[in-house]
Amino acid sequence: MLSGYRLMWMLVMFDLPVVEKAERQAATQFRNALLDMGFEMSQFSVYMRFCASQTQVDTLCRTVERALPSGGKVHIFQFTDKQYERAITYRGRSRQPTQKAPDQFDLF
Amino acid sequence: MIGRTVEIADDRRHLFVNRGFMVIKDTEGERKELGQVPLDDIAAVIANAHGLTYTNNLLVALAERGAPFVLCGPNHNAVGMLLPLDGHHVQAKRIEAQIAAGLPMHKRLWAAVVKSKLEQQAAALEAVAAPTAPLQALVAKVRSGDPENIEGQGARRYWGLLFGAEFRRDQSGDGLNALLNYGYTIVRSACARAVVAAGLHPSIGLHHSNDANAMRLVDDLMEPFRPIVDLKVWQLHKAGESHVTPDTKRALVRVLYDDMQTAAGVTPVMVCMQRLATSLAQVYLGERAKLDLPLPGLPLALAGSFEPD
Repeated sequence: MLSGYRLMWMLVMFDLPVVEKAERQAATQFRNALLDMGFEMSQFSVYMRFCASQTQVDTLCRTVERALPSGGKVHIFQFTDKQYERAITYRGRSRQPTQKAPDQFDLF
Repeated sequence: MIGRTVEIADDRRHLFVNRGFMVIKDTEGERKELGQVPLDDIAAVIANAHGLTYTNNLLVALAERGAPFVLCGPNHNAVGMLLPLDGHHVQAKRIEAQIAAGLPMHKRLWAAVVKSKLEQQAAALEAVAAPTAPLQALVAKVRSGDPENIEGQGARRYWGLLFGAEFRRDQSGDGLNALLNYGYTIVRSACARAVVAAGLHPSIGLHHSNDANAMRLVDDLMEPFRPIVDLKVWQLHKAGESHVTPDTKRALVRVLYDDMQTAAGVTPVMVCMQRLATSLAQVYLGERAKLDLPLPGLPLALAGSFEPD
């Protein structure tokens, strides 16, 4: 059943060391892995993804885990679409409309 | 999985892959990027425009994920579908069981599908307050393999009762027929994906025996889901919408996400199809006796209301 209480959002936040060249490479690799999984950049080092179910969230958590770099700190937040609706976004001082969950039908 | 259906209906579009996304770009004007959809979330891509271009990379990425790329001809009929060769990890074993299944089993399965279709048709008629007795009386008459073609008899009465005596189902027709074509194309693509994902071969059908049809099994398994589209088209027609427009398309695609009653609780139509295809594979392998067909009765969202959403 599709409802705002079951549709989920995932937010991955990370702080990765980028002093050494190898560290920068590892950080880029992790970022690219997130993009390959369908995460979109929300801010630098904050990536978001919409999920149709908790099962999908759990699967993605394991996939993220496999892609983790050796250093740094990574958070994965999960919330329902109902909770996400309440997010407030500003660009400069002007308030932005809330981002809607993607429709199940995209027409281009 | 509950994926997203993506349709490309404008000529000036170029599709390509960027990391984990299918990106849609305008090919004229500012060549703006119009949007991106995570590849893993795509249930099917419906290509409904003439001047559309896409990269080979994209087709490969979709095939890897088992998402059909549907080529639409005029009037919204699917003329082709790109499906992966490899859809399931024990596919060879399942196709072998599918080939080995005898005629009696196929006949028995086909009878179950026809019964389910008649029940769904009766439910659609009930929802529009038309007499259901003619269809319901036929359900008990279906014998193994449906030798009397009860399915055809049902269809003759059904169309008249649903859309009036003057309605003729015509694949190249306009108006309601075009809406029905579009709805069936959507249902067919979702069913094709389910069949391939269950490790079955789409050409080995239960009943449909047209030599030229490479999707026999898909056409067999989608039968019980057609009345859902019919009812949606009826509702759109009632609301004064008789043409294929972005809004009516959206309403028809939404049908895949409506909840249906199954033996294991309510489930979206798209998932029902996956369960049906999987149960068929299990029947072939001797792991279960019956198909997992939806229970009689339409999606809750459709059954009660005469209004389109």
